[in-house]
Amino acid sequence: MARAEYKVPGGKLLAAESEAKGGKLLSVKLTGDFFMHPEYAIEELEEELKGIPLAKMGETIQGFFDSSDVQLIGASPSDITHVVKLSLGS
Amino acid sequence: MSESWRLIDMRVEDAPTQMAIDEAIAYARVKEGNPNTVRLYRWKPSAVSVGYFQSLEKEVDLEACRRMGVDLIRRITGGGAVYHDYNGEITYSLVAPDDDKRIPRDILESYRVICGAIVTGLGGIGVDCEFKPVNDIVAGGRKISGNAQTRRHGVVLQHGTILVDSDIRTMFKVLRVSEAKISDKLIKAVEDRVTNIRRYLGRDISFDEVRQALISGFEGTFYVSLIPGKLTDYEEGLVEEYKKRYSSWEWVNKR
Repeated sequence: MARAEYKVPGGKLLAAESEAKGGKLLSVKLTGDFFMHPEYAIEELEEELKGIPLAKMGETIQGFFDSSDVQLIGASPSDITHVVKLSLGS
Repeated sequence: MSESWRLIDMRVEDAPTQMAIDEAIAYARVKEGNPNTVRLYRWKPSAVSVGYFQSLEKEVDLEACRRMGVDLIRRITGGGAVYHDYNGEITYSLVAPDDDKRIPRDILESYRVICGAIVTGLGGIGVDCEFKPVNDIVAGGRKISGNAQTRRHGVVLQHGTILVDSDIRTMFKVLRVSEAKISDKLIKAVEDRVTNIRRYLGRDISFDEVRQALISGFEGTFYVSLIPGKLTDYEEGLVEEYKKRYSSWEWVNKR
């Protein structure tokens, strides 16, 4: 499990703990002082990211927000992608 | 005559009870048709609350809390960790329907409006402060209030901390501040990022003075009268139920 933190400029702190193997994201946990409405959507996002190819991570995260009413405040979908990549050392 | 909102005034309770009360008022607001409600309250014992999404162990020095008898709780709202000092802090909460015309639908804008009540109130006792997006209020560039909001059950619930005479030393003993956050602000001493009303005004100030100021701030901002009231039996029942969840380690250590 690798962890990274990213302070979004003008926004909130995002941290990711993630694990990848064979080009796939095995698991990710996102923490920080950002806001997401509704809050339980974070668990749904983490679930959706399990097992996806790393190459598809950015579009999966963006797609999650585009296809729902979930609102992210203090960070953007691409900030999430960024911090997960950071945690994986890429 | 202006509309009346309910004021639940300066109830002192432990952390699970305080968080359960806010959630109960939010849940019951539409269901029971209760008036909009403002609460002012203090936490006994002192406690650290973490935001819904925060990692407990990364944000809080658990050993320091244990040593100092500081309780731990996870909120249903996002945002950052707060040290609720029994001797130096007032927490407020506001519950109103999410279609109330006085509260913008846009979440960021609604922070500005609701925090505006705090800014106006504190301004009345000489604390020249301003809203700083996303969810802070600063005085002289230093944070004096942090705020967090959730929307559920057809309502907006916003609660926030007002640092009256909080022990800032202890605050930074129990809270861990991430390196990433410090470097972004370009300030080495984290203590310099925070202030409290007493320090800002340079004089002693009573809870009652701040309480009165906050009440005027809410009344003036929303054109309402805050009428002291109490929780309904239904709300009290919900509080008992919710308290159990808030007290569980599974919830507190959820992330």
